[in-house]
Amino acid sequence: MTIKQIESKLLKEKMVLKELQNGLKIFFMPKEGYTKQYAIFATNYGSNDSKFIVPGESEVTKVTDGIAHFLEHKLFEEAEGNIFDKFAELGSNVNAYTNFTSTCYLFSSTDRFYENLELLVKFVQSPYFTDENVEKEKGIIGQEIKMYDDNPNWKVFFNALKAMYHNHPVKIDIAGTIESISKITKEDLYKCYNTFYDPSNMIIFVIGDVDENKVFSIIEKNQKKEEKVEKKIERIYPDEPDTVVQNIIEEQLDVSIPLFNIAFKDTNNGLNGRALLDKDISTKILLDMLFGKSSDLYTSLYEEGLINDTFENEYTGEIDYGYSMLGGESKNPKKVLDKVLEYIENMKNKGLSREDFERIKKKHIGQHLSYYNSVEFVATTFVAYHFKNINIFDYIEALKNIKFETIQDRFKEHFNAKRCILSIISPKTFE
Amino acid sequence: MLNRLKTIKIGKKIKLHMIKTDKFKTNLVSVYFQRPLVKEEVTKNALLSMVLPRGTKSYISSKEISKALEGLYGAFIGCDVAKKGERNIIQFRMQLVNDKYVEDKEVFIKGMQILNEFIHDPYLVDGCFKKDYVDQEKENLIKKIEGRKNDKMKYSYERCIEEMCKNENYSLYEYGSIEDLKNISNESLYEHYKKIIHSTPIDICVVGDFDEKEMESLIAKKLNFKQEGVISVEREKIECIPDDVKIIEDEMDINQGKLNLGYRTNIPFESELYYPLLVYSNIFGGGPNSKLFKNVREKESLCYYIFSRVEKFKSLMLIGSGIEFNNYDKTVSLIKQQMEEMNSGNFSNEDIESAKNSIITSIRSMTDSPYMLADFYFSQAISNNEDTLDEMIKKIRTVDKEQIITAGKSIKLDTIYFLKGKGEVR
Repeated sequence: MTIKQIESKLLKEKMVLKELQNGLKIFFMPKEGYTKQYAIFATNYGSNDSKFIVPGESEVTKVTDGIAHFLEHKLFEEAEGNIFDKFAELGSNVNAYTNFTSTCYLFSSTDRFYENLELLVKFVQSPYFTDENVEKEKGIIGQEIKMYDDNPNWKVFFNALKAMYHNHPVKIDIAGTIESISKITKEDLYKCYNTFYDPSNMIIFVIGDVDENKVFSIIEKNQKKEEKVEKKIERIYPDEPDTVVQNIIEEQLDVSIPLFNIAFKDTNNGLNGRALLDKDISTKILLDMLFGKSSDLYTSLYEEGLINDTFENEYTGEIDYGYSMLGGESKNPKKVLDKVLEYIENMKNKGLSREDFERIKKKHIGQHLSYYNSVEFVATTFVAYHFKNINIFDYIEALKNIKFETIQDRFKEHFNAKRCILSIISPKTFE
Repeated sequence: MLNRLKTIKIGKKIKLHMIKTDKFKTNLVSVYFQRPLVKEEVTKNALLSMVLPRGTKSYISSKEISKALEGLYGAFIGCDVAKKGERNIIQFRMQLVNDKYVEDKEVFIKGMQILNEFIHDPYLVDGCFKKDYVDQEKENLIKKIEGRKNDKMKYSYERCIEEMCKNENYSLYEYGSIEDLKNISNESLYEHYKKIIHSTPIDICVVGDFDEKEMESLIAKKLNFKQEGVISVEREKIECIPDDVKIIEDEMDINQGKLNLGYRTNIPFESELYYPLLVYSNIFGGGPNSKLFKNVREKESLCYYIFSRVEKFKSLMLIGSGIEFNNYDKTVSLIKQQMEEMNSGNFSNEDIESAKNSIITSIRSMTDSPYMLADFYFSQAISNNEDTLDEMIKKIRTVDKEQIITAGKSIKLDTIYFLKGKGEVR
């Protein structure tokens, strides 16, 4: 049992970390004056963890696509029905999501917080899978998959991942396919649950105007496991070459105008903690300098009618993979790509502007501060960064200290036309 | 509640609503122009909301504006149109980081100057909007209107309303129509701008940490509103007993059918039955313990999402769900059957309590978001509702079973809309 106080003078915020005997880490962030309370119970287990060695076994386990997400759905089942009713009585909103690297269970409430918290802590630790309730879910998730199949933004994004990655499981849809989930059994679910839902692989983050001691004592009282297991889960990720699979991937859907994603694949992977945070921040600043609303490229593309206000950029930096992405709607995505690559070449010759850098840095500082208005944002972002060994309180300080030279180096290294792909969803042509 | 609300009149028809709270990192200023939702105007208003951000007197291009905003620690400014019942709202929003977190102590004042130029001092060439800007934004607006169909869930929901309210202004799309757009010129748009800038009722909501006296004089000084001949926007008509149920089908090349059922509630938001209606809709299709979720999703595995929503200002209730094409009949009859259950009073006191708690949680949650707070107080202003949040909560608490059943009796099915796959049989 250890307790640690963490404070950020820049943000004027603080949080407390308590680690339990069984390895569970609890973070509590007081938010004075807030009406809403928010808690998130997360496991470091997402759709990317499809190949692993269960601690104590020697064989490699390979699971079917979509199982982490399926498990998320099924954890809401209890022997006496599902947990929704109990949360509903309390009037809170309970939900969950699965992404590539984590599965998160959460609620937000404005009343009876401690009862909600107890419920959350208990249900995530009580799996109840039967042949019947597993079967029933296949139809529901089937409709969820179909819903995403009709979503052009989702498709354009996943096709981009497929074009970038040869082997890495990030190219596989989080929910799997109707075919892959049809094979799931309750035994598979228990196996994944027992492997990844161990307190030592999980965290709880609580934020709101509530009592710290009460938060800790409720969570501690409701632990099923007492002792920490000192065995590690071995996750197996395939070797991923630096190259991309294909430079262009195109699919037709029933849309009115083409949607596109342009992505640059990262190669210097394997960083975590502060090094990863610096890479994250410098890439995001760089993207705004090059492609943000005040950039020359944005202006010329916009004036030519090649992009509209949906044009955005983002960077995803995980420990074992990463990419920058630009995307939006365009009547001519290929022309946008040509202009982007041409512009990058020109900028490499011309050099980046220090003035732009200082201004965009200011923008990011203000933006980051404003994110702290939202308890949901803080909670979900905290979890995502924690699993990369980063505490989000360090973000603003790292941002303030980022150097222009770091940005210049990153620019030279990251934007390589060979590792660039274009994903297009174009309107269907009916014969 | 920590939020103090103070409303004062600062012009003939300009209300300033100040919501003071020190819990946010930002200050938000939202300015709402209220226009009637009419065919002659809706497309112009939408285009205007896209042209104004293109340039102002001091910042003649989007690039210049963006640079200025970035320099103000990423101040956000946005202009958009919305539909609240048969009111067409043009809204300007500016969010700025609070001075106390950054070195620059004039962020707010500088921001207000930009916001004022945005509204009152657009970039003009020869006494008119810059033609290139208008032409480009016309092109963008066409794409936006055509692009409606890309989001199938939202599209089917809006199409259901369109068919339902065919002969009412509420059917107008907030971004207007391509046909009307073709007839708008640079000059006619500028004429429209000059007309509405002075003749429109305005609400300004400010959310953040400030001194109210100072804020009042700052807003009055920095935002130069001059009003004359201000219009009044009429209350929409809402009573409607449909003769028979309209069944509308559209086709698209899609994987999943989108089903929407549109109901006339015949309950105006001023009515005592309005809160019982909210409770009704919540028990029916509010959350994961609602009747629709339990029966259509959990029991029958027919869908992943299913919801019920009340359109406050137009007194509609809509159900939306995504299903297999050939499950249309089954799903529609299940929904109707669940509605029967509701109307016969087959719901428990626990259901009522849960629904009330859920609505109250949503209401209370708004107080943690500057944007939602501003929108809430604006909605209150246009519905002439003086209730505080706490008073609303009290009223919801007192709703009883009988009122819920009474509310249910006046809900009438008007339109069933189904978006299905090409060549699919429902």
